[in-house]
Amino acid sequence: MDILLYGTTEISYLIASRLHQQHNITLLHDSEDLHEKFNNLDISIAEGGGGDIAILEQIEAGKAKLFIACSALDEANIVACWTIKKIADVETICFIAKPALFKNFSSSAHNQYQTRYDIDSIIWPEQLLTQDIFRIISVPDALDVEYLAGGKAKLFEYRIRSNSHIINKSLMECNFPADVLIAGITRDDKLFIPDGTTRIQAHDKVFFIGTGVALDSLASDFFRESSEVRTVSIIGGGSVGFMLADKLERRGIKVKLIEHDAERCEYLANSLKKTLVLQGDGTDLELLETEAIAAADVCVCITNNDEKNLLCSLLIKQLGSKRTITRVSNLQNYDLFARVGIDVVVSPKASALAEVLNRIQVHNVDIIALIEGGKGEVLRLTTPTTFKEVKLKEFKFPANAIIGVIVRGHRVLIPDGNTIICPGDRLKIFTMKEDSETIKELFFP
Amino acid sequence: MKLPLISSALSIVLLCFGTIILTPIAVACVEAEYSSIVPFVVASLAAVSLGLLCRWYGRRHRNFDLLRRNEGLLIVTLTWIICGVIGAVPYLFFGLGPVDAMFESVSGITTTGATILVDFSLYSKTFYFWRGLSQWLGGMGIIVLFVAILPQFGVAGRKIFFAEAPGPIEEKITPRITHTAKALWLVYLLLTCLEIIFLSLAGMPILDAICNSFATMAAGGFSPNPQSIMGYGSSAITWIVILFMLLAGSNFALQYRWFIKRYSKALLASEEFRFYLAIVLLFSSALFLVLYFSGPESAITSFRDGLFQIVSIITTTGFSSADFALWTIPAQTLLFTMMLIGGCAGSAGGGIKVVRVLFGFKFLKREIDQLVHPKAVLPIKIDRVTIHDEVQRQMLSFILFYLVLMVFSGLVVTMIEENAIIGFVGTAATIGNVGPGFGEIGPMGSFSHINGVSKILFTVDMLVGRLELIPFLAMLSPEFWHISRRR
Repeated sequence: MDILLYGTTEISYLIASRLHQQHNITLLHDSEDLHEKFNNLDISIAEGGGGDIAILEQIEAGKAKLFIACSALDEANIVACWTIKKIADVETICFIAKPALFKNFSSSAHNQYQTRYDIDSIIWPEQLLTQDIFRIISVPDALDVEYLAGGKAKLFEYRIRSNSHIINKSLMECNFPADVLIAGITRDDKLFIPDGTTRIQAHDKVFFIGTGVALDSLASDFFRESSEVRTVSIIGGGSVGFMLADKLERRGIKVKLIEHDAERCEYLANSLKKTLVLQGDGTDLELLETEAIAAADVCVCITNNDEKNLLCSLLIKQLGSKRTITRVSNLQNYDLFARVGIDVVVSPKASALAEVLNRIQVHNVDIIALIEGGKGEVLRLTTPTTFKEVKLKEFKFPANAIIGVIVRGHRVLIPDGNTIICPGDRLKIFTMKEDSETIKELFFP
Repeated sequence: MKLPLISSALSIVLLCFGTIILTPIAVACVEAEYSSIVPFVVASLAAVSLGLLCRWYGRRHRNFDLLRRNEGLLIVTLTWIICGVIGAVPYLFFGLGPVDAMFESVSGITTTGATILVDFSLYSKTFYFWRGLSQWLGGMGIIVLFVAILPQFGVAGRKIFFAEAPGPIEEKITPRITHTAKALWLVYLLLTCLEIIFLSLAGMPILDAICNSFATMAAGGFSPNPQSIMGYGSSAITWIVILFMLLAGSNFALQYRWFIKRYSKALLASEEFRFYLAIVLLFSSALFLVLYFSGPESAITSFRDGLFQIVSIITTTGFSSADFALWTIPAQTLLFTMMLIGGCAGSAGGGIKVVRVLFGFKFLKREIDQLVHPKAVLPIKIDRVTIHDEVQRQMLSFILFYLVLMVFSGLVVTMIEENAIIGFVGTAATIGNVGPGFGEIGPMGSFSHINGVSKILFTVDMLVGRLELIPFLAMLSPEFWHISRRR
């Protein structure tokens, strides 16, 4: 597929590096300096503004199937999306960073405006991040949660505590509830897909796929300490902090929010209804102690500064926090954060990347979730009509992969070895990043 | 401060009021009380001639666009005093002394409803009509009336409009002030007409219905019946009056949105209105329990009288459906608490106003929360909107000034009367524009027996309370009186 990228931001690099081997990517950038790293990618590069029709025609933009505007300037992105629509019917994705603009595009009133905005989809990374964090918080004790098949099935990530009674048992011996699968395990920062003989070890992060009910019973049987989230502490009152606090207080959760800027505090306190807004620094140990920040069920560090987030999370962890969720802006820090013991690391870029990949449809395949910062993926694909019915245990995957959920009509099945795969089934397949192409080729030779 | 400009503005007020005061003559003609015509003609002549004199003095100043705030405050205050004085003129002809006449007139125009009348049989129906009418004029605010009907004020209308009722939040329901004033009077007029109809249907004589409706909607409390609403002995009338008092005590701007603009949630969406209803419900149930367990009355009567009296006092109407001066001390204490609260902002009621009380509670709660969380940023919100620091300070100082003035006046009257009940309850009842107090000055009693100095103090209290202190406080500053003689 021909994809046209506009802008040389970090996210633009992530998208290009992720897709350049499968797709024909053209990068359009304004006259500013192009970072060296783009030259290492197998893409063609053109210089010019996104709103310049001459340039767009010159690079045959009309042939592209997808246009992604991800420059640093919202307005430039919007204009670029409009301009390309003038010369060709291209699907457009526009990156936005200002809340007010995002509201314009996403509000339900959108369609009643005098003239439509004419942009196919809008991505505001911070809003996606908020949704992700909210999702992780609303399912207690799990480290990471993804909803599959419209919420009928879920993907949970649990960290195995050193006192858990399932340590050193093989998966077959564990007697997990029916309708629950173990899709993957991260051990020593390596993700792999286990089989029945794999033994669980302490500090493993285990991915479970299952129906909501089954996962609840799993939680109560194997991870009994879990309890409902009632209090959340947030450090950093930027867009994410504000939206998250708003979402949480609507759920009836008590929120404490620390923000260091006095003016921003005013704004937050005026706009939020019940959240307790505290003015101070997230690394101020006295403030953290007197306000019992670490005593909250979940602590979220989402300032704009990676170093500060790391320091805050470590401090809070030290003060005895049960769960910390930390934002990382620079994806290079992702692994480091996870290694020093932060429970959940989130990134607006990873959220945005997953969203972009989601929109790029190849052979009916969708990536609906990225696991462990992109090492694992949950693919969504529909078996073609030519597919022959086969029992799952007789079906040989050529690579590491596991079918997590089968959606057949309105039914959601968590498969076991005797489940038959039929043509027209919608499958959610958990696989490793490097194997995803093999899996797609298996179903669509 | 330019005296001719003020004089010019006052001349408009005087000429207008001189015309309005002729209205009772119509009643006198209908009721064939021809002797009652003369007092109003004399009052009207006095007003008109004084008005013409002022007009001549201020002949060079017809443009009010450059009116300053101080001048606006002075015009508003003088308007109320002049209307009080002119309104007192007819009373002189009915055998009242000058102090008594002034007391009765100011009590009427400020919608207080405290009376010095003892024997109600001495006076003509025209007399009672004028008492009712003066309350009705004062209820929505005389200035609001003038801004609504007189185009002369122009831009200055906005300044004097807010100077008269300096509520905590400036509220304009339409972009132009004359439209706002007209809209408010429209709601006021409609509600009054409705009440007249309801009361007549419930069997009240038509003139009584008019007078009582005037007094209800103005949150005044002058009834032509010596025993107030109790005198009609009808449960239906009591309930009708409760309903309309409740409306008179709530914000008219919101009622405009509710009735005229058909925005059905306007009233309940307001936090002040919800708080007002909550106070009424809470205190009337408390009063019901006190009355039911301490008195001989049945449950229904206790409930009705309890509710009536709470509503009557909190809206600062001052009607009575029973002689609450005879009730037990706990019951009277509940009523006294209501005297301190008053109606909603933008209503016909006086007192501290519900919104300021609500704010006061939120302020105290904030202080407690701040003790626990010293670093927290805790804005005070009413209707989900944060109150600015400046407005916060104004509201707090208002409450403080109100209490200081009340204590001061209460102490002075207590010394004069050698009676703390008259001193403090009387002050609370007059500065809050409620009307009757307890004891001698209760609903069946009268203010006629108290000392003349006390009467004058109470008269001042009524005016100060009605103008919501601000113009009065401004006048305490010597700077205010800097008069420019330049023409």
